[in-house]
Amino acid sequence: MLQDAFRGGKRYWILLGFWVALIVVGLAAYGRQLSEGLYITGMSQDVTWGLYISQFTFLVGVAASAVMVVLPYYLHDYKAFGKMVILGEFLAVAAVLMCGLFIVVDMGQPARVANIILHPSPNSVMFWDMLVLTGYLLLNLVIGAVTFEAERKGAPPHNWVRPLIYLSIPWAVSIHTVTAFLYSGLEARPFWMTAILAPRFLASAFSSGPSLLILMAIIIRRFTRFDAGWEAIQKLATIVVYAMVINLFFVLVELFTGLYSDMPHHLHAFEYLFVGLEGRAALVPWMWVNAALTVCAVVLLLIPGIRRQERFLAPLCVVVILAIWIEKGLAMVVTGFIPAPLGQITEYAPTAPEIAITVGVYALGFFVLTVLYKIVVNVRERLEAT
Amino acid sequence: MARWGMVIDLDRCTGCAACEVACKSENNVAAVSVEQADMGRASSWMKVMAHVEGEFPDTTMHFYPRPCMHCDNPPCIRVCPVQATYIDDEGIVGQIYARCIGCRYCANACPYMVKYFNWYGPEWSEAERQHLNPDVSVRPAGVIEKCTFCHHRLQKAREDARAEGRELREEDYQPACVDVCPTNAIIFGDLDNPSHAVHTLKDDPRVLRLMEDLGTQPKVYYLRPRD
Repeated sequence: MLQDAFRGGKRYWILLGFWVALIVVGLAAYGRQLSEGLYITGMSQDVTWGLYISQFTFLVGVAASAVMVVLPYYLHDYKAFGKMVILGEFLAVAAVLMCGLFIVVDMGQPARVANIILHPSPNSVMFWDMLVLTGYLLLNLVIGAVTFEAERKGAPPHNWVRPLIYLSIPWAVSIHTVTAFLYSGLEARPFWMTAILAPRFLASAFSSGPSLLILMAIIIRRFTRFDAGWEAIQKLATIVVYAMVINLFFVLVELFTGLYSDMPHHLHAFEYLFVGLEGRAALVPWMWVNAALTVCAVVLLLIPGIRRQERFLAPLCVVVILAIWIEKGLAMVVTGFIPAPLGQITEYAPTAPEIAITVGVYALGFFVLTVLYKIVVNVRERLEAT
Repeated sequence: MARWGMVIDLDRCTGCAACEVACKSENNVAAVSVEQADMGRASSWMKVMAHVEGEFPDTTMHFYPRPCMHCDNPPCIRVCPVQATYIDDEGIVGQIYARCIGCRYCANACPYMVKYFNWYGPEWSEAERQHLNPDVSVRPAGVIEKCTFCHHRLQKAREDARAEGRELREEDYQPACVDVCPTNAIIFGDLDNPSHAVHTLKDDPRVLRLMEDLGTQPKVYYLRPRD
């Protein structure tokens, strides 16, 4: 099984080579950040979290979305997800890996990362986030490997993984809830301090993650002989559209509270996002693009005739991912800092090395994902041949 | 047990920023280049903030010198994942530089923006290096640093008092910003000690505390300007 990772055609090696090239660029930039400090980023005393933590937040959502295939398959015995479930679990593994890396590259003193375990702090949400993410990584790795190995041998998986599978379902919800609590528990940041943040995170996760999964499944069935099944892809598309509608509803609820109450604390952040605040408007074009993409995705995906055609579904999944990425991977974190509690408005824009490091982390995640999916595809191809 | 706190009379503050300078010099806070300051990377444990009220030309301006509030219920301590920030028995909020992982979570949790991150290592000219304060540690890149109410001065004052075989007096322990203020706008002492000036001043009808409604219970009190 593992040897499949080391054998492959030209396309496989070119793809891995591409990821490695990006990883090298990221590593070079990270080397600079390690020796010179985080000043090479665009962050400042007023905006202390930027692109790294935003990507972390976005990817926790991608990781959590594995539950959208695990739950129907294992709890409701929804057979159509039989071949999709392993793709979801391995996508979660790669996503959590990237989450961890984004936390480490954001640290001022990454060599001291073990302090989180040496000085455990149950009062800190970040401590809990570390615990649930590590646990989720292990759960998905173990469940994915054991069930897949059993399938390869044509035998049912060991009974001891069953409780782990059930545990992984609430655990997936927990990783994104705890990640939301990281923000929503801060009284100093009114934009983040909202009870709807965790539900919103989950809704956006369950639209962006399965969208990515659909794309992966479509790519794999195009280029290999492994087909996760059109029914499974269609079921995921339904999940994507409902999650997207719920997410849009949550965003509008949030907007109503801010706009109708007219409380400056709640209003300023939304003003900054959609019209700009005191002439600062770096995110305004992004947010209108986000609004257009969201409406476009929701309206078109709701129409069954469009959703059921691969040539429309694939680009619409890209639209969903882009919309959620702008929301979580760009705007959500930075806007928490604008305006600062004492009123200053400092904007943020990532620098070139910061973007290089970010791309490098993504490349590393996709490298791992490529290898994992390669193994899955080869084993599946052999199974179908026999 | 003492409970150290500060009262700042806004009527007396002229906004001269002597406290800012004294603080940087006392605590080895390096000055940054103009470009880095524009990027928002300057550290100022004590910062004089200007507050403008009204529309031009009918405006009034007040200056709020802002050190760490040394909250009794500090949000920064709650969020730290490695317990690198703590509140001691006498109410001073400190930072363990050698343990801090530089995640900046505390900086985001602090409503007063007093937790400063070192975006790079401190840089001094040779002349400045000669004048570093040996009583205060120099912080590396990648950690959070903050106002300590000049805690090293308390340790020194306590040792001196013990050597002379007497109790610690109010004037023995005063942070650098208090010492240097030309208008005596900043008053410092033990909030629980009736013989200290801050003990009575903290109950003055003019008293206000910044963002008190957040429940942080700051130990820095401001005396509202008289109209």
